[in-house]
Amino acid sequence: MKSVIRSFLRYIVRRRGLSALQLLGIAVGVTAAVGMMLASRSALKSIEGAVDFLRGGATHTLERPTGPLEEKVLAGLLTDPAVRTVAPVIDRQVRIEGGERIRLLGLDPFLDREIRSIADRIGESESGDVRRKIFTSFLFDPGAVLVDAGTAKRLGLSAGSIFKTSQGPLRVVYVFPNPTGEPLIVADIGHAQELFGMRGAIDRVDMVIIDDDPFRARWVRGFKIESNHQKAETLAALLGAFELNLQVLSLFALFVGVFLIYNTAMFAVVSRRRDAGILLAIGASRRQIAAAFLVEVLLLGAAGGALGGVLGFLLSGFLVKVVGNAISSLYFFLKPAALPWSFLNLAGGIFLGAAASLVGCLPSLLELGRVQPVRVLQGRTASRSAPTKTKNIALLGVLCLVVAGILFGLASRHVYVGFAGVFAFLIGASLFTGLAIVLSVPVLKPLFSVAMGLSGKIAVGNIRENLGRTSVAVAAFMIALSLSIGLGAMIDSFRQSVVWWMNSQLRGDLYISTKGDVNVPEDFYEELGAIQGIGGIDIFRNVPITFRGKPASITSIDASVLQRYDRFVWFEGGGENWEPVKRGSVIVSESFSRRFGVKKGDRISLEGADGPSDLAVTGVFYDYSTEHGVIMMDRSTYLKLFRDRTINSLGIFIDVTNPNRRQIIDEVKHRALVRGLPVATREEFHKRILDIFDGTFAVTRSMRVLAVIVAFFGIAGALMTLFVERRKEFGIYRALGFSTGDMVRMTIAESVAMGFISFAMSTLVGTAFALILIKVINLQSFNWTVFYHFTPQPYLVTALTALAASLAAAAYPVWSVFRKYPAMQIREE
Amino acid sequence: MGESIIRTYGLWKRYEVQGHDGAAIRGVDLDIQRGQIVVLFGKSGSGKTTYLNLIAGLDMPTKGRIEIDGQDLAVLGEAGRTLLRRNKLGFVFQFFNLLPTLTALENVYLALELTGVADAKPALETLALVDLRGKENRYPHELSGGEQQRVAIARALVKKPSIILADEPTGNLDSATGTQILALLVETCRAAGTTLIMVSHALNTCEYADRILRMTDGRIVEVSTCEALAH
Repeated sequence: MKSVIRSFLRYIVRRRGLSALQLLGIAVGVTAAVGMMLASRSALKSIEGAVDFLRGGATHTLERPTGPLEEKVLAGLLTDPAVRTVAPVIDRQVRIEGGERIRLLGLDPFLDREIRSIADRIGESESGDVRRKIFTSFLFDPGAVLVDAGTAKRLGLSAGSIFKTSQGPLRVVYVFPNPTGEPLIVADIGHAQELFGMRGAIDRVDMVIIDDDPFRARWVRGFKIESNHQKAETLAALLGAFELNLQVLSLFALFVGVFLIYNTAMFAVVSRRRDAGILLAIGASRRQIAAAFLVEVLLLGAAGGALGGVLGFLLSGFLVKVVGNAISSLYFFLKPAALPWSFLNLAGGIFLGAAASLVGCLPSLLELGRVQPVRVLQGRTASRSAPTKTKNIALLGVLCLVVAGILFGLASRHVYVGFAGVFAFLIGASLFTGLAIVLSVPVLKPLFSVAMGLSGKIAVGNIRENLGRTSVAVAAFMIALSLSIGLGAMIDSFRQSVVWWMNSQLRGDLYISTKGDVNVPEDFYEELGAIQGIGGIDIFRNVPITFRGKPASITSIDASVLQRYDRFVWFEGGGENWEPVKRGSVIVSESFSRRFGVKKGDRISLEGADGPSDLAVTGVFYDYSTEHGVIMMDRSTYLKLFRDRTINSLGIFIDVTNPNRRQIIDEVKHRALVRGLPVATREEFHKRILDIFDGTFAVTRSMRVLAVIVAFFGIAGALMTLFVERRKEFGIYRALGFSTGDMVRMTIAESVAMGFISFAMSTLVGTAFALILIKVINLQSFNWTVFYHFTPQPYLVTALTALAASLAAAAYPVWSVFRKYPAMQIREE
Repeated sequence: MGESIIRTYGLWKRYEVQGHDGAAIRGVDLDIQRGQIVVLFGKSGSGKTTYLNLIAGLDMPTKGRIEIDGQDLAVLGEAGRTLLRRNKLGFVFQFFNLLPTLTALENVYLALELTGVADAKPALETLALVDLRGKENRYPHELSGGEQQRVAIARALVKKPSIILADEPTGNLDSATGTQILALLVETCRAAGTTLIMVSHALNTCEYADRILRMTDGRIVEVSTCEALAH
């Protein structure tokens, strides 16, 4: 038994180049999966850590459904019998020099002691007098803040440093340790109120409640009360779709990796067939042969997986920043730190590589188990696939596509069903590769004959003759290229849809304070309203809420202004919707409508400052601002419901025909800048949105690249194996008079032809994949319609990628030809 | 007459190739005694190798029965036939069929290891017997054709099988080397009392044979002398 295993394992060393290609292919697939998993876990851990740290010992929070909370509420809470501890909180963001946003917490250091440890930490490393001084400074000096150690180190701050923020200069009185790594600034709540213009108001109250139900009964009207459990659920829901898509992206890369393993295992089987025949003839059992092969495959898989685990850890350091930026742009502020190295990464990578190898090599194992020693020992190898086999495999592909279709039909049941359908579709498409090669060879032969002479013609024929090997390599490459086209086309379509949405819904000439960290003072709005020539000012307020236990948001606007200047695109209803909105009805976004099953004509209940209010839904509009859904209402309705006068931003509309347009724009800009309010033109605002959009797809783009790299190793491995297996054939070519140059051309032609067939198939499969992502996955995951827009860019980029990868894949085999071909002869062994 | 070690009864092997029916073996009845050196001649495609594969249990007959050392191959099943090849049969091929990633010693020891023997000493001794002392650690590609075939013979002999099946053992060697190999094979089999069934094209092989058989179109006839074979 040991000798059988030994004879197989020595191939790994003997065919070093091929083994290295196989190992790297597995490693890259595992790298993608591990990198993504670690980045995702890191983000989640950061969120959980930050939430835990910020929550401290609090069991519940109380806030208004929207807007700030009046300070005077504290008096009632302090005397409520169900409340053990209360701590008022201001929770905002400031922007520092360089544009980075950091959370700023305003806390009462006395009340907060019972909830969080931050207040206790003020000056803790100092002696008694110094500590008192620091504490006093924190309490009484305006602009005095604590900064966490990580942020202080990164910004070069220490006690006494002054740094500029969007709310004015702040002075560091103490640097405190923060176990979460989340950047944090802490100020006394009184100073925070001054900083943010919130005199008499706070954002929320963190509490320890000892009797939940009676408390809720007393305080339910006009307030939003959340327990820790509810918050965790909301958080999970908030990130749910995003996380799922990250996981699926990593699975796509691993899927291509599994294909690659199948690819390399098939090659190994082909070269082991003869050995298997010999072993069977001298008395080895099929089980022993299968076990030896399994050991070889698992060893390579584990080694590749180990390398992938290490590389995945390194990749996660990059991805975690990208994921953090995406979450910060889309959901809430987050700056996750990369997870520290753990040997579990290595173990996980080994497990993933070995498991993927096991899955990938199963068909090959069955193939090896069916080896007929009689045929093999007579030199009759099954290298030319019978037409029937190719057709049968294609029929299996049809079956997979049917299954995929059924799964897409059931995708509304659960998002995983849709993703299962995607994998079934990709597997089904790959099973057509053999047939595609058989059908395309007669077309390619004359083309390659013209381009590269006899070498080109033979090369194309070789691809057909070695279908068992080439079809799998082509399938793996095709899948990777299809992912590239599909994801690229989906992203482009999505981008076009966002551009169309912005051009219909965000048509202001200027936007003031859209970055979300600076609110617009109401008197500034009134000041602008007095400027002659301004057609309309849209007052924008957006607040996250919980609707039927799930995250959503409320947006308040000026319906008259939008009615006049915007060109909303309606999913249900039309422009006539604005009149009811002015009178107190609401419109909802498509995401909201799909998520909550709310249609035009329905009524929804919102918890306002004075309790629940029933509102009529008068229309549904297309929207891409958030997948959780938007309820949009006129500001008058919003004020009536929530009594929250906060203005997040202003949209300034000026009539196109106004001859003083330029001057009015300049005047508004000037006044905003005097107030320290950021201003953006429409183009700048749209560009910012598109920058965020592009940033959120940075992860997707990384996965596209990784998938192509994995498949590149597949093509390279196929070529290398063809070279190794056909040495006898090469001896014949040499005897017939083919030069080294001819063989180099043949090798390159084989690679380019395989790349071409892969690309040709991928244009169809990739387009179908894009449509599936748009019509099924996006809809199920994010509940919004993305309109398919054809753009040539994904196809051009993928074509160039296919060509480059094909040529690069041929490099090592070409080098082998240069080295070995001049000495090749016809030998039996 | 000695004890029978191989018996075939009404053996048929039919193949269907692309819709065309053919029979490689047509009703062969044969009885081979223990210790006999039997040479089977015939043109290419006459069915010689098919017959060897059937005896070895590597292929199954369409009709008829094969008994090896009194055991019916059909009754044995795949596991039983594997054990038969492992313990009682040795194989020598025209194209050597050594495992390229194992050394000469490892190739020979492999056959021993399959029978459950953990000691490599018999492998070393058998290699010495075939005159390959000092070349134990060479890989097949580092040996000449003759040397490779010696390794193959050692692999077949090391487990002291009852039967050795040799399919054109000198077919890939020059005449001088081929004669050496032939002599070696026959001598070692005679010395060990091993039954040897050899398929060959080369007429000089019949000089070593106790029995000469000729296969023509799937049928076997006994030939009395080398001269009769030549004619």
